[in-house]
Amino acid sequence: MFQYEFMQRAFLAAGLISLIAPVLGVYLVLRRQSLMSDTLSHVSMAGVALGSVLHLSPVLCGFLFAILGGIVIEQLRRTYRSYSEVPVAIIMTSGLALAMVLMSLKTSLNKSFNSYLFGSIVAVSETQLIVIAAVTVIGLLFFVLLRRPLYSLTFEEDTAAVSGVRVKLLSFAFAVVTGMIVAAAMPIVGVLLVSSMIVLPSAFALRFAGGFASASVLAVATGMIGVFSGLTASYYTNTPPGGIIALILLAILLVGIGVKRVVKRTAKRRIAKAGMPVRQQTHQTLKEGASK
Amino acid sequence: MIFCSLRDIVFGYENEPVIRNVSADIHAGEFIAVSGPNGAAKTTLLKLMLGLLKPWSGTVRFSAELGRSRVAYVPQQASSFNAGFPSKVIELVRSGCYPELGLFRRFRREQHELVEEALKAVGLWELRNRKIGELSGGQKQKACIARAIVQQPDLLVLDEPVTGMDAASRTRFYEWMRQQVKEEGRTVIMVTHGLDEAQDYLDRVIYLEGKEESDVSI
Repeated sequence: MFQYEFMQRAFLAAGLISLIAPVLGVYLVLRRQSLMSDTLSHVSMAGVALGSVLHLSPVLCGFLFAILGGIVIEQLRRTYRSYSEVPVAIIMTSGLALAMVLMSLKTSLNKSFNSYLFGSIVAVSETQLIVIAAVTVIGLLFFVLLRRPLYSLTFEEDTAAVSGVRVKLLSFAFAVVTGMIVAAAMPIVGVLLVSSMIVLPSAFALRFAGGFASASVLAVATGMIGVFSGLTASYYTNTPPGGIIALILLAILLVGIGVKRVVKRTAKRRIAKAGMPVRQQTHQTLKEGASK
Repeated sequence: MIFCSLRDIVFGYENEPVIRNVSADIHAGEFIAVSGPNGAAKTTLLKLMLGLLKPWSGTVRFSAELGRSRVAYVPQQASSFNAGFPSKVIELVRSGCYPELGLFRRFRREQHELVEEALKAVGLWELRNRKIGELSGGQKQKACIARAIVQQPDLLVLDEPVTGMDAASRTRFYEWMRQQVKEEGRTVIMVTHGLDEAQDYLDRVIYLEGKEESDVSI
């Protein structure tokens, strides 16, 4: 399949995005903003529609709308501090409504929107590849250089602010980077499933990783496995890559959770078979330790 | 030396002020408790002092010598943060060094020693490789306090720090804070409801009686 240029582009684009999207996912999940990527993809779709209606670059408009959406969500998050899901609901509804109205103004758009909605291997153009590469570099620089303040911010905002982190500035920068990554990932997985590439690998990693840094590494590895195997399956089955990638990542998550449960249960049984309930054994071990 | 000075502070969340004309001075090297009934705006007062909230009127001034660079804060119920936070205990406590290290500087031996010392002081050294989410509420609180101490703050602000701790841990904690004030020269302010058990270690109590404030020397 690599004899085709579009497949080379698709794999390269997917590989680049899977370097940063799962890392973003780790932060989004921990900041309880998992649905932000979904929301921004809907906003981005409105941008694509507007670009088409106004005869501007749909890719660029989608990109700018996603960034703008991120900034507005962050601003609203500060207004609705106690209801963090409200900004997401407001912006998602607004984005979708705007996209629907704009699409109805130009009915010829409906067909090409399929590739935006579900993703398409052939949708990755040369220009998009350059955009994706630029976003990957910016994203990597952001997450690597600012990993310490980002860690503090994610842990607790007030503590971070007191210890000198410029919380507001960093939060807005985070929102901008989120918008950029969402817009860049859209051609591969599509509007509807963009969050699968961002949230599912991190959901898996957060259950299994032993520390913060290893969670990011595991999320990237999971994302890469899902994306590459999904693209391959998509090529051979002639199905939209978004759906296949999401299903593979979901399967990885479910298998992981299942295996962890079995391992835990087996360990408990082994302790029980050894003769004592877990609590008693712990108690006895403590007593032995004290007598020593 | 006055570290922080609050003058005629008025603040509210909606239309009604919850703090009215409160003034207080925080002197260097004091161990101060902020106390009062529920809803007396103790946490609000701390947040105003830390610049996390802006007063409707009045001023909060920090000594130029202190600036804002050496202030550490442990919020109320820090222990209730996301149970799934994927950090190990040592990773979290080490992050207390970030303000000093900035973006790029590497950890040196003295920082590793500081982390070890703080973890031993709160009794979590043995549990340093456990994930934060696996700790009990009291242990999480201790980890957050260790993280704050690692910052080597001039001013340490603690909001109900002993919540979830057993009696022996609370006593050890007060002794440790007293030691931080006397030997390390830090200033410690903590919100507490347990004045009875803490008063032997304190220099002063700021008592908020709902909207007003009275200063009690011990």
